[in-house]
Amino acid sequence: MTDIRVVISGMGLMTPLGSGVGPNWHALLKGKTGIGKLTLFPTKKDLSFPVGEATESFSLKGPPRTHQMALMAAEEAIEHTIGPPDAIVMGCTTGGMSRTEALLKEKKSDPALFSHHSAGSVAEHLALKLKCKGPVITVSTACSSGATAIAVALALLRTGKYKKILAGGAESLCRLTYFGFHSLQLIDPHGSRPLDRNRRGLTVSEGAGMLLLEGKCGEVDPHTIEVLGAGLTCDAFHPASPDPEGRGALAAMKGALGDAGLTPSDIDYVNLHGTGTIDNDLSEAKAFNGLFDKEKPLVSSVKGAFGHSLSAAGAIEAVVSAKCIETGIAPANVGCHIPDPKLNLHPLKESTHASIKTVLSNAFGFGGSNASLVIGRSRKREVHPAMRPARLEVAGMACITGAGNTMQTLSAFSKGSNCQGLLSDKEISQALTPRTIRRLKRLSRMGLSLATAALEDAHGDIKPESVFFGTGWGALSETHDFLKALYETNEQFSSPTDFMGSVHNATAGRIAVKMGATGPNITTTGGDYSFEQALMSAHLLAIDDDKPLLVMGADEFHPVLSGLLDQSVTKADTPSDGGGALIVKRRESGAGPKLEPLFYKNAHENPLVISSLVQCLGGTEKINLDFGAVFAGLPAASRITGKKQLDSFIQTTGFTGPTIDYRHYVGEFASASAAAVVLAVALLKTDEIPMALAGKETVDLNGKGILMLGLGNFVTAVAVHHGEALL
Amino acid sequence: MTNLMDELRIKIIDTLKLEDIAPEDIGEEDQLVGGELGLDSIDVLELVIMIEKDYAVKIDNKELGARVFANLKALAGYIGEKAPEGIF
Repeated sequence: MTDIRVVISGMGLMTPLGSGVGPNWHALLKGKTGIGKLTLFPTKKDLSFPVGEATESFSLKGPPRTHQMALMAAEEAIEHTIGPPDAIVMGCTTGGMSRTEALLKEKKSDPALFSHHSAGSVAEHLALKLKCKGPVITVSTACSSGATAIAVALALLRTGKYKKILAGGAESLCRLTYFGFHSLQLIDPHGSRPLDRNRRGLTVSEGAGMLLLEGKCGEVDPHTIEVLGAGLTCDAFHPASPDPEGRGALAAMKGALGDAGLTPSDIDYVNLHGTGTIDNDLSEAKAFNGLFDKEKPLVSSVKGAFGHSLSAAGAIEAVVSAKCIETGIAPANVGCHIPDPKLNLHPLKESTHASIKTVLSNAFGFGGSNASLVIGRSRKREVHPAMRPARLEVAGMACITGAGNTMQTLSAFSKGSNCQGLLSDKEISQALTPRTIRRLKRLSRMGLSLATAALEDAHGDIKPESVFFGTGWGALSETHDFLKALYETNEQFSSPTDFMGSVHNATAGRIAVKMGATGPNITTTGGDYSFEQALMSAHLLAIDDDKPLLVMGADEFHPVLSGLLDQSVTKADTPSDGGGALIVKRRESGAGPKLEPLFYKNAHENPLVISSLVQCLGGTEKINLDFGAVFAGLPAASRITGKKQLDSFIQTTGFTGPTIDYRHYVGEFASASAAAVVLAVALLKTDEIPMALAGKETVDLNGKGILMLGLGNFVTAVAVHHGEALL
Repeated sequence: MTNLMDELRIKIIDTLKLEDIAPEDIGEEDQLVGGELGLDSIDVLELVIMIEKDYAVKIDNKELGARVFANLKALAGYIGEKAPEGIF
């Protein structure tokens, strides 16, 4: 509840039911299904299951399918607006995987062919095409991604710093998800039948849903439809199965209602996550019946019509929710013939006219990540002023680099020694029991080790409630091993463990299980700026002073994939990986070291980005008063651009303090800044920059902070300081 | 049957990376899932793949899985019964 209302001012859809919101809505109300035969790639006869393929045909040239679908939906969403959006927040899990897996099958090895692989590249493609110069954020929380992206956009708009944000989700069918869900025995061979007593699972599909969200103040216009609230939680139960009691789902729905300032009786229709798997529907039904004990709203799942488009589903269904309100019709639960009596739900048999003012829409995913949105007609609500930006005080931290753990890395770094390289899997997992790690590969081991060490550094007495994890490339070992096994067996067998572990948020989900962290669990991905995105999300969503957060970033080096995917790794002499983790608490005062994300902008065709940075930081004089040193992140792939930006910054501000090019020490990996921020906090505590790093002599910080700059394709700034909030 | 059970003990440990378990720790009537071995539904699915790959026996639904994976004896019995001729 803030004084800024977030209005839906444009929507776009691309799904197996059609292209465009109008055709989709028409088909949905007629009870049609987009589920049909798989044509995108060949399969053996006994491994052929129905899927939901987008109706549009896509060019094989240009970017992959996901990017094309996202752009079509985005263009529809913004067709009535002038000028680019101020920011883009996407939900995406597999990015350009449909192309990558085909290239790997053909044993292609030119890194240029893989340039659209990352999940973050979809949002970056939109930013390029739509000329968005602001933050470009990708959340990758598996099947809740699309709804979580909308929740992050909502939080961004409520700061009042942005006027309009394009938010949504996009996902294309690929072998990874098709065979992955099959390996988990979660595919219904008859097509998804959500809530039906004979349901056997989900139908993997694809699509894109995009929404243009605008922050509005002033008079309420009852004709507009708003995102009224969002609730994000984590089951902290299991990597792939929902909590059978539905506790996390219930908490997400309650959280969304609380955020909207509404009660269950205000909800007219619930759009269920309703995948059609036995466990999801049981767990969600428990949560639903726990929330609505007397008067039950109308309820249905649309996954029998659309299939389950994974990271796009939450966004597509947010569009469906808005259409329900706009037209006063709730869609039928396609695919359900005889509702499962165990669910105690009464799904709509056909599209139903009703007075629908407010809708609750659910999206849940692997890693136990839950997102609920409340969407409704604008109305007068009790409001309170926008939340003041939080400063995040560091209570404990840890890093891993090629030099070793935090102490070893700090010791080497302070002497100006090289911290590049790779620890062995055994060294990374030292503090973890064989049972804990038996199903985990490199990234998850690293993440769990970092989280454990950061908690230990915080003396173990403040367990994090929420987790924000940034990773540029996610679980490369699991992704590689899954596809390798699949191809080696002529597309017959693949590992369910590897599939479960291949999602970007697998690591954060496992940390949540280990630490009992049931609050928001958000994994962000955007190449070299993934950690900054995680920090930014934490900063936005840290609303409760009493609940500590874990903010971290990590990336693994993979001998086959890293060099193909990460152009900075391709250019590096020494393979390196690692990361950093910090336990933080929201604080208004106090003298402990603080983190404050201050700036995040797209540098592509943005000549004013450095002057905009200087202005944002309060101008030349303030920058020199606030900061005694700069940590510069210069990824090898964009080093020339980054160096120019850094020179321009130094020249503009006349900054004379030491500038530390930290990748020179820690090596080339996407989340190098996460390790570097831990080192910066350690130096801040000593109030000096050692001679080996500063140049001629040791430099006293004199109580000033350290400015972390991310440079290259994006420009980011994070303050590491002791004082009051800088902005 | 005993040979098959011995073979399965090793394959289970190998497939599921149960480094802290010795083959003799898996008794023929010990509960495989949710028992002291600490296996869960994902482990069962991993074993389903191994069994289909190595013995050409399909276990493609949860109800059947619950019965077949009750213990080592049941698993060996099912494989012995369903495996195509010539596989052993």
